[in-house]
This record gives sequence, C-alpha cells and structure tokens, in this order.
Amino acid sequence: MFQLSIIKDTLPILPAAFALPPEQALISAINKKYANRVLHEVGLCIAVFDLVEAGEGKVRYGDGCLWYKVTFRMVVFRPFASEVILAKVKSSDEEGIRLTLGFFDDMYIPLAYLPQPAAFDPNERAHFWLPEAATEDGSAPSTHELLDSPTTSRMYIDKGEVLRVRVEIDEFYDDEPGPPKATEGVRVEREQRRAPYTVTCSIAEQGLGPVAWWKSAEPAAEGEDKDQG
Amino acid sequence: MEVVNPRSSLLSNYEVLNLLRELESDHLAKTKTALRIKKEEEASGKPVTGATTIEDEICENLRTVEVEAIQYLTGDFQPIAAQSDAGITKLVQNLEPYGFTKAEKLQIVNLAPTEPVELYVIVEELEDRLGERMEEVLSHVRASLDPDAVVAVSSTQPSGGVAENQPTSNSATEAEATIEVYGEETWMQDTNYIEWDDSGEGAGIEGDLEMDDE
Repeated sequence: MFQLSIIKDTLPILPAAFALPPEQALISAINKKYANRVLHEVGLCIAVFDLVEAGEGKVRYGDGCLWYKVTFRMVVFRPFASEVILAKVKSSDEEGIRLTLGFFDDMYIPLAYLPQPAAFDPNERAHFWLPEAATEDGSAPSTHELLDSPTTSRMYIDKGEVLRVRVEIDEFYDDEPGPPKATEGVRVEREQRRAPYTVTCSIAEQGLGPVAWWKSAEPAAEGEDKDQG
Repeated sequence: MEVVNPRSSLLSNYEVLNLLRELESDHLAKTKTALRIKKEEEASGKPVTGATTIEDEICENLRTVEVEAIQYLTGDFQPIAAQSDAGITKLVQNLEPYGFTKAEKLQIVNLAPTEPVELYVIVEELEDRLGERMEEVLSHVRASLDPDAVVAVSSTQPSGGVAENQPTSNSATEAEATIEVYGEETWMQDTNYIEWDDSGEGAGIEGDLEMDDE
C-alpha cells in the first residue's frame, strides 16, 4: 500500500535556513511542499524517504533564496489494484460505505461491492449482510424481504469496525476552477468539488469484510464461492 | 516538478512505520532541544535568537500525516506490533520456494495471515498453487510473529507513546530490509533506469539556473 516514487524538483531554501546542513534544509523544504498532498497519478505523499541527488544551490536574480535542483524518493500511499488492506468504517449511507485509514479517508465501497444479499438499515444507519437469504433459488431477495428479516440473523457492518477490503480501482481528479461555463447564455452550476484521489474497494468475496466475521471461520467455508468481483 | 518514476519500489507497512517513528522521535528530540535552549536563553536574559524559530515551524502537513499514519499502522488490528526486522527477513526467505509474486509476498508481510481464509484472499488460486503446503506457509507466518510482543504492546497500545518506548532502527537496517523483501535486482535496475535530464532547456527557473553552467 506504500511505495517509493522518485521525483525531481527545483526548490528554494530561504536564507533563514542557511544555518542548517543543506540536506536537512532540503528535506524539510520537500516535506513542507509535498507531505500530505495528492500528486496526480502518483498518490498521497507521506514523507521524504531519502535524497537521491542534489545540485549546488544557486542564487537567482530577484530573491535571496538558494535554488536547488534535487531528486528524491518519496514515500507515497497508493495501494495497487487487488491489494488487500485493513480499513475502518467511517460512515454508511444508502450509496455504500465510506472507509478511513486515519490519514486517508476517500475510500468507498459502493453497493455493488457489498456481499450479496445485503441491504441498508436506515434505523441503524448501517449495512447488513444476510447470508441465509440467498440460499433458496439463487434469485436475490428484495430489499423489502431483507428488511423484514429478524434482526438477530443480520450481520451488521457497524461504524468503526475494521474491514478487510480489496482495492478495486483508484481514480484521480484534477478539477481546476476554470472559467465559468455557460450554455446558451445560462450559467451552468459547477458540480461539487471531488476528492483529488479516491479509492474504490470491495468486500464481496469470501474472507473480506469485517475481520471478526472470519476470525474463527473453518477452512470448510471455501467451497461455497460467493465471489462477486 | 517531474515524476521520474512513480513506483520505483514497494514498501511494507513495517518499513513505513519505522521511517515515521524515526521522524517522530527526531521531531520530539528537536522540540525538546528547542525548548531547552529557549529556557536557557530566557534564564540568562538574552533575547531569543532566530535559530529556534526555524525548528519551530516544522511543517503542519507532515506532522498530521505522520501522526495519523502511525496511529493507523500501530492499531491493534495490525500485526505490526509482533513483527521485527529479523522475523520479516526470515519470513521472506521462507516464502521463496512457494513461487509467490512480489505483490503477494508484500501482502503476506503486511497482513501476516494466520488463518487459511486470510491467505485465500491474498493469494489467487491458492488451492491449485499450494495444495497441501498452505499450512506450511501459515506456520512460517506464525513463526515470524513474536507472541510476547503482541501482549506487551497491546497492553500499552493507544500509540503515540510507542514511538518513545521502542528503539527505532536506523535507516541502514531499513534499507537492508527493503532489499531483502523486494529483491536486489529490481533495486539495481531502478537506479540505473533513471535518466538524468540535466539539459534544462525549459524556460523559467530551470533555464535561469542552467545559464552559467553551459
């Protein structure tokens, strides 16, 4: 889920930092610029791993900074497709489940990636899985039937629970606030700002979902393969 | 800014945690020294010099992501508390004969599956590829985890303090671990792969800097 990315940049060091050793000043300048930021098609930057190469600091006309050309390795959060990771449930709604890792929380499980048959319980504000309901003739029961089921047989996915999820796709959005769009003289409302980096996950597979579900599971469970992905 | 190689190698959670803990302890040490210097200066009646203020403005973003990531990685649902440099190195060696892909090995190290279900999720077509040898893999994983560490750390959990209690390994061992896990060949290949583009033909800053060189 973490990787090293090699990045090259030109950075200024303010005169106030001239007293520090150059490596140290550079690393903190890089961290200041990149840490906790999403780089398009790269991932979420965490921290500098090390410097690969740095040139001499040069003074430009116009400011008192030393400008360094520097190549460095960055620790980046970017889970690869099909990677299995652990995440906590941040919230649930009709559209799916939102997950959080603490430092990153644009992770979603859409309805299609929930184990079937599943439904959203508006009273509990949580999704639940009803393994028994699927057995009869293979046809998916309606949401109505699912919500009529006895509460005791439901397997809830509660807020704060730790889920084992598989990363399906990740998407980057680079929404620039361009000029206001207008079609036929009418101003078009801009759609809401999207998160720059979102990860879509799945729990529709044996072994995925709340860690507690599978804690004492026997290897026998593997036969019935309810794989949705 | 230019991305030379977006994925030059993969890191295990354990390595990332070590790096972050090192940063964290560095930061704590710095803050302490800065405070001490400040106090001394105040006591001796000298005006506060600029040196301390540089240390003070350590990047907010870095601190946030650092603390949150440490929290996530040391959560009690993670196997990391029971892992060690030696354990992981041994585990990776033991996994060699089973023909796992790099990604599978990384996930086995990160998640430390101790039950068959967990391994099924990580490894595709587990039964065809491993058959009876699955138990062996699980026992290798169990062997790599230190049962005492789990007890010790889970009792002192809610992170933060952990960084101070546990000695953080230095970057040398960290680099070693990276190589152990992901194989030396990729490492070398990657370093050779970089093309140093120092021609600096672009306009603006890059151009300015190159002017007197060429």
